[in-house]
Amino acid sequence: MVMKRRTAIIAALSIAAAVVLILWKPTVLIYGLQAAGLYAAVAIPMGLVLGIVHIVNLAHGEFMMVAAYAAYFGCKALGMDPLLAIIPTAIVTAVFGWVIFQLTIRRALKAPELNQLILTFGLAIAFTQTINLIFTSQTYKIPLDYVSASMDIGDLTFGVWSFVFVAVAIIFAYGVKFFLTKTMTGKAAVAVGQNPRGAAIVGIDVYRTYGLVFALALALVGAMGALFLTKSAIFPSVGSPFTMKSFCLIAMAGIGNIPGILGASVLLGVSENFLRAFRPTRDWAEIVFFVLIIAVILARSLKGRKS
Amino acid sequence: MIKLKTENLTKSFLGLVAVNKISFSMEEGEILGIIGPNGAGKTTFINLISGIIMPTEGLIEYKGMDITYIPAHERARRGIARTYQLIHPLENLTLIENVMVGSIFAKGHSLKEARNKAEALCHELGLTGLDRDTSRLTILEVKKMEIARALANEPEVLFLDEVMAGLNADEMKDLIAIVQRVALERHLAVGVIEHVMGVIRELTHRVIVLEAGELIAEGKYEEVSNNPRVIEAYLGRGGV
Amino acid sequence: MNRNASRILAALFGVLAVTLPFFAGDYPLQVARNIMMYMALAITWDMLLRSGQISFGIAGLFGIGAYSAILSVIRAGMPAWFSILFAAIFSGVVAFVIGFLILRLRAMYFSIVTLALGEIFRIIIHNLHDFTGGPEGVVIQKGVIFGGNANSLYWLVLAGLAVALAASFWFEKSKIHFALTAIRNNEISAQSSGIDIFRWLLLAFVVTSAIQGLLGGIFVQSYGFATPDAVFSADFTLLPLAMALLGGVYSTTGPIFGAILLGLASEWLKLKIPYGHLVVYGIIIVIVILFMPQGLRQLVRRTSHSADGRSA
Repeated sequence: MVMKRRTAIIAALSIAAAVVLILWKPTVLIYGLQAAGLYAAVAIPMGLVLGIVHIVNLAHGEFMMVAAYAAYFGCKALGMDPLLAIIPTAIVTAVFGWVIFQLTIRRALKAPELNQLILTFGLAIAFTQTINLIFTSQTYKIPLDYVSASMDIGDLTFGVWSFVFVAVAIIFAYGVKFFLTKTMTGKAAVAVGQNPRGAAIVGIDVYRTYGLVFALALALVGAMGALFLTKSAIFPSVGSPFTMKSFCLIAMAGIGNIPGILGASVLLGVSENFLRAFRPTRDWAEIVFFVLIIAVILARSLKGRKS
Repeated sequence: MIKLKTENLTKSFLGLVAVNKISFSMEEGEILGIIGPNGAGKTTFINLISGIIMPTEGLIEYKGMDITYIPAHERARRGIARTYQLIHPLENLTLIENVMVGSIFAKGHSLKEARNKAEALCHELGLTGLDRDTSRLTILEVKKMEIARALANEPEVLFLDEVMAGLNADEMKDLIAIVQRVALERHLAVGVIEHVMGVIRELTHRVIVLEAGELIAEGKYEEVSNNPRVIEAYLGRGGV
Repeated sequence: MNRNASRILAALFGVLAVTLPFFAGDYPLQVARNIMMYMALAITWDMLLRSGQISFGIAGLFGIGAYSAILSVIRAGMPAWFSILFAAIFSGVVAFVIGFLILRLRAMYFSIVTLALGEIFRIIIHNLHDFTGGPEGVVIQKGVIFGGNANSLYWLVLAGLAVALAASFWFEKSKIHFALTAIRNNEISAQSSGIDIFRWLLLAFVVTSAIQGLLGGIFVQSYGFATPDAVFSADFTLLPLAMALLGGVYSTTGPIFGAILLGLASEWLKLKIPYGHLVVYGIIIVIVILFMPQGLRQLVRRTSHSADGRSA
């Protein structure tokens, strides 16, 4: 009852905020939603790994960066559009992720959480610096016409291509939800996530499931790497911010709440673009996210102590 | 003289009542058994008294002072000590250094003083090879070390959470004698959680029985063990 | 025997550190300064780690120290040597205030919040153009400490390292050692031994942060300028962490040897590969965590143990 009232209040407030924004600064809402789509689409695979394998993968954004480089050079070599590279990149990244999982993360699953944190931190550096070593810090970009497609409504002109991220985020969120609740493998993965020992007793191969979930998440990351390439230039540290942002969104939504990541992303994306819309606050947009992550973690720890 | 008492002490976790309105008291020099089937709330009860968790309702009084909501480390300093069911020796510290910790922080002794006190304490409990790494201790030695760690606080009230688990009959006899002796010499009030009824019979002066978070019986071991409600509590769950 | 060997080795390094300026040229002196700076940071990181808390915020406190030192000289005309002290005090006060908020957090939550705080500090400095000079940073125009004399600057960094070493030994030899070890092992039983966990964590956090600030102050004073990207660089978090892990954590000697090994290796690699030589750090972190979580000390100890076993 209390929960319902709170949800209703939050819903009413967000609708009111959206209406105000549409009338006052429509671009804030549009670009905010587009950014939110990108954030959510990258965060969802990390949420899947965190929820089931219980690993905070600090190399998450770096995996996407590696995927984007793979997509770039694949496309260059074959003269292909990055959109066609989505599926191949997803497969290659999944295999790469699975191999990395077997070689490193799997061995640290029983180690203290802090060792896992430092391990994936080390992986992140190794990935970034390997790319740096091979391709230097030069940026690469594939020029595409359709990316600059725009739309006019009255006086308003805005880019529409980035809405593709919103669509992908929604597909990812509900796809993952469907996988976890409706398929046998997904149900087994949920069982492993909730109680690995119990799952092992009923005959589920826990480590195989972990590897599978990790590879699946990395397939989504790989797909995002190729899609990211359509819109953005790539360089070695391009993925790093996404690691922190993804973790923040998952912490806001609550671990295991995949669709909740969508809502959290909208909050982050819209507030960043809100600050970006005004000259005096433009430079402070970057700080929103860090303040938000600290606020969320502190609020959760307070709440945790009460109960 | 009453050292410790609780009134209507209650703890619920998300609506689930783990300890329900327990009122009891412990006297100086008394060894009290705390028994009950698994999940009866025994450990939760002493977690509340030692301050590891805070109660939902009720009162805890120690030497006439209300300590219901003061933090755990402060209770340790005032003289409430306890052992843990799952013993975690401090890695990277030797046997004697493990024992010193309580002396340093609960009593504020200097390192040198603490070492002297810890040596005396280990000697009293029959622990030798004090500079050994804790990973090389036998089970009995680990149990004794855990008791020594609690006694290093120089407590007036001591709780022992299943210290006999994993010991054989001779070792139990050894430890029972030690507990009786330190309690007598220090005029301690001792609370003992134990599953081995022989230990309870031999060691304790009085027993309280918990079931599903409630105190269902209280008295001498012989009286309590014939109490039909107690028998039902144990048999109803299929154990003795 | 092993302990003696490492003591002799440490004494040798000590003698080398003190006599280096008398015979070494500018380049080795510069390399030694770098290594000592990172070594000191690695030691402070390890000091907090002894309580079980992993900080990813070294760069943040280092950067705060750096900016508070340089701004106090430029904006308030403070003498250079005093600004370094001021940097330590300021970082310590900042740590004291944020400690009240974040020292209740544990594990990854603590780590990630320290990382985020470092970023917040960087963005604030970056955006307060008028006061901090913004992204281009600030330069000390006149009155550079010791007139920029390389030998004197070397002594300055060595003094910073000495402070870190002294603090670390203090942590090892006093009650703090017992408090932090007990907290790291099990917070619940630590409380039952009368340990006020928050108080000891706050002490460790404030002391290590103050030293990190001090080192930041020394860093800007010896280079005479600061930009947000230079003093909040992730290297100041990453390199010390890798050094301490490699050498072996929960000790003073581990970070020392880790810093010497990695410092020399990366200096050599920097000459060979200008881009991406940091890959070595990433790989070392991964290998150490997977195969020798207690660092090189464990390896040394094991071999000396088996040698003892054979001789007995």
